[in-house]
Amino acid sequence: MKNQSQFGQSISRRGALKGLAATTAMASLPTSVLAQDTTIRWWSPQGAPAQVDAYMAQIAAFEAANPGVKVVFETTSDEGYAPQLAAAFSSGEVPDIVTHLPSFAIQSYYANGLVEPFNDVIEAIGADDYYDGANDVFKAADGNYVGTGIGNSAANMLWLRTDLMEEAGIAEAPRTWDELRAACQAMQKNGIFGAPLPYGRNSMTTLIFVGVIHQAGGQVFDTDLNVALDNQATRDALEFYASMRELCPPGATNYSWGEAITAFVSGATATGIYTGRVLGNVNAQNPPIADSVTCVRYPTKSEDIPAWTFNDFPSVFIPKQSRNIETAKAFAASLFNPDGYIQQLHAAPGHVLPVLKSINENPQYQANEIIQKYPEEVELMSQAAAGGFNLGYESAAHPSNEKAGEVVGSGAIADMVQRVVLNGENVDQVIGETTKTIEDIMAG
Amino acid sequence: MLKKIVFNLFAWSIVLMVAFPLFWMLVTSVKPQFELFSRPPTILPQNFTLEHYWKLLSDTNFLGYFWNSVILSTTTTIVVVAIATVGSYSLVRFRYRGRETLAFLVLFTYLLPSVVLILPLYLMLVNLGLSNTITSLVIAYTTFALPYALWLLRSFMAGIPEDLESAALVDGASRLGAFWDVILPQLLPGIISTALFTFILSWNEYLYALVLVNSDDARPLTTGVMNMLISSFNIEWSLLMAASVMMSVPLIIAFAFLQSYLTRGFGAGGVKG
Amino acid sequence: MTQPTKTLLERRYSMLGLLLIAPTVLVFCAVIVYPLVSAVYLSLFKIFTPTLEGSWVGLDNYRTLLAKGEFWTSLRNNLIWTVGTLSLQILFGVGMALVLHQNIWFRSLARSLILFPYFISTVVAVLVWKWLFNDLYGILNHLMMSAGLIAWPIDYLGSMPNAMISVILVGAWKYFPFVVIAVLARLQTIPEQLYEAARIDGAGPIARFFDVTLPQLRDVLVVIIMLRAIWDFKEFDLIFLLTGGGPVTSTQTLPLLVYKEAFALNQMGMASAYAVIMMLIMLVFMIVYIRRTRQEGS
Repeated sequence: MKNQSQFGQSISRRGALKGLAATTAMASLPTSVLAQDTTIRWWSPQGAPAQVDAYMAQIAAFEAANPGVKVVFETTSDEGYAPQLAAAFSSGEVPDIVTHLPSFAIQSYYANGLVEPFNDVIEAIGADDYYDGANDVFKAADGNYVGTGIGNSAANMLWLRTDLMEEAGIAEAPRTWDELRAACQAMQKNGIFGAPLPYGRNSMTTLIFVGVIHQAGGQVFDTDLNVALDNQATRDALEFYASMRELCPPGATNYSWGEAITAFVSGATATGIYTGRVLGNVNAQNPPIADSVTCVRYPTKSEDIPAWTFNDFPSVFIPKQSRNIETAKAFAASLFNPDGYIQQLHAAPGHVLPVLKSINENPQYQANEIIQKYPEEVELMSQAAAGGFNLGYESAAHPSNEKAGEVVGSGAIADMVQRVVLNGENVDQVIGETTKTIEDIMAG
Repeated sequence: MLKKIVFNLFAWSIVLMVAFPLFWMLVTSVKPQFELFSRPPTILPQNFTLEHYWKLLSDTNFLGYFWNSVILSTTTTIVVVAIATVGSYSLVRFRYRGRETLAFLVLFTYLLPSVVLILPLYLMLVNLGLSNTITSLVIAYTTFALPYALWLLRSFMAGIPEDLESAALVDGASRLGAFWDVILPQLLPGIISTALFTFILSWNEYLYALVLVNSDDARPLTTGVMNMLISSFNIEWSLLMAASVMMSVPLIIAFAFLQSYLTRGFGAGGVKG
Repeated sequence: MTQPTKTLLERRYSMLGLLLIAPTVLVFCAVIVYPLVSAVYLSLFKIFTPTLEGSWVGLDNYRTLLAKGEFWTSLRNNLIWTVGTLSLQILFGVGMALVLHQNIWFRSLARSLILFPYFISTVVAVLVWKWLFNDLYGILNHLMMSAGLIAWPIDYLGSMPNAMISVILVGAWKYFPFVVIAVLARLQTIPEQLYEAARIDGAGPIARFFDVTLPQLRDVLVVIIMLRAIWDFKEFDLIFLLTGGGPVTSTQTLPLLVYKEAFALNQMGMASAYAVIMMLIMLVFMIVYIRRTRQEGS
């Protein structure tokens, strides 16, 4: 952003609307007197009851070790965090620590000077303990780390029902799109649909389709962050996605994460696309199919294209405006203490995977019913997630993309899918317009 | 006679169609989760259960949100109706410069979409030290509730004969005395009706609550329920329907009793423009 | 009003009047005028929402938005939605009020049930309808399939024109009771003599409706239409929660576009510009509407 000036200043310079100037200028100042007792506000969009219980245990441990400090946990949501954080940042009333937001969201906030560098916290946790490259996605243009991963997630695993595969005479898990399509066709009967792919106007469609583009051998941005959609790979991806439409439930046009997992877990679809949370949900809600559930990495166009796993890199970061940065950093580091961290991971086994080697090897972590029941699946997801990427970080060769959050938020990619698949618009024209839209956002 | 029966059946079938979602919400809320996934769907529950209600009350913060909503809506209603009552009295019964302009401005403020007001409003509330409190929502809700309340009450006020007030004044009452003794009792149906509308508006608001409040201590039901139960990890329809029932039942009971006020009040002078 | 003949009492009355209106004016300035002025002001900047940092761009935002296809499609959607849902609300609302005005069985229970959709939260309404519309387990698809009307589940919210129709229908269902309330109240005040006079003149039920009832309802309808048109035009919650504006941008109305610009694209300045334009459109409509109804009335 060229010619940047503090909004408040530019107003007072113009001498107009003094009231507005006063309020916005005041907004950047701390409004409360520093108290003896510090309260830390912790936001996360991951608020499943079991997870919240685990957070509470971690909070209790930290409070016991740090008398006078109180930690308040507040849930936000995947669709709601953007306006809530916007309001918080602009007013200065920020949470002191935010977890489980996708990595690209923080990159965007950091680029605008809203996030505290995280280097010392990573050191405190133990930089050597991370899987190799686990923090690369959090590296900003200036070389600092903007946050760290609180877990890994493999968002686009292909979930399969071995019982239905057997019935349909499918011996092996599909490796290519053609095999996947054939398998879905074979299993789509008796009111069961083939797959619950999302065609909705939401972030899931965007994120999953970014994966599909890569599974076709393409990419959204090239390594100089120019939009690179206008090629055969994107066309192949759209063609594949369109061909899957008839194998998905009619309401898939509105599917997001919740609907997608519910469709597979309830047994309405023969395959699924989701993280490891499927394991816990199947065992809790639909035990009859629990023994015939497995997962593989999502198929690609042809065997010579490697699988591409979408990892949104659930994160931890600390807003710069926090008035308790030091305490927040201490608390952030404490989240990785084995006892509490393992409990947090166990709250959704297989969904959030450990980022620390020592935790994965820890017998206490392995001693979970679900993890023991599905050791191969969990191991596969751990590997896939560790080698995963997302739109803010499409490959190891890509620099971090500060605008990825806005690109996802704009829904441009989901719009592209909907226009081609649902409206049957001309592919060339749609790709051209989508390229233009994303370029505009990048030029921002 | 036959005509009457046919008409009644016709009328009631429409009523039942309109109310069907209410029925379906109730029925779904007492079905266990696995029954929802049976095909074809069962109409009446085969396994009756209250577990979702129990889960809602014991495992979640539903009651907390409920209580917040009650306080929030009641306070908003009282504040808005009080300001609007004296305001409308002034607008209708007094003569001063700018009165007509004010009345027009009231109407104009209707046009403001909430999305526009939200950020400047939030900045202001933070500077008042009110962020993340129920008070901040009360203030925010006046933005849409006050213009409407004022406008409703203004037409009610216009419907009260001026002679009544004059008579009281001639008898030696002060202007405020006359307001208290003569106008207010006459205005009561209007006040109740306005209060009801205000209450409904604030009970149901979503967007402000989403952006302005992010603490469970102040979060009302609308965003509380969405946040708690609609998530990327699961959608439990029966739990959602149980929450919906519990969000709506208190309102329905209250309005069943006050319904006559709602209609009578609105007619007395409510919509004369 | 400043005639020299003004008595002391009158002056004291004006003072009192001003005093009584003071809280209203104060609240209006604080919570409405101030944010409004800010909105107009913000629309002249290019602003990153989370920081509110920005640079002066003058009228550029307005130029960009008027040249953008998205603005015009959203405006078109906004009009389709408003006109569609509003006419259904009025038609169904007046019809239902006429029915409920008759002496039917359990009239007050029927009235309560009819008013119910208006009381419940938009959130609740959306949840219930999403569940009714559900593709796999929804009762609507099931009933229609077992009645043989359709062979395959309908996708109510994810394809066009279904999505727009569904949104309009749910909107009509949610808000028609408002019309019922107002019309019913007015019906109760129509003097019975008017109907008797008409009956003596030999008018049938339909003629009575057009000759007696409708003219009596005119005033109330003029006001309801204006109120509901404004509310429907700026409706956000219902559409946002039901379809989020999809598929593509087929149900994206202006308020959703404002929200997207402000919070998904972090362009507060642009969002404010959209909002200001939106207000202007409503203002023009309202003025034209008031003029015309006044003329016809007199």
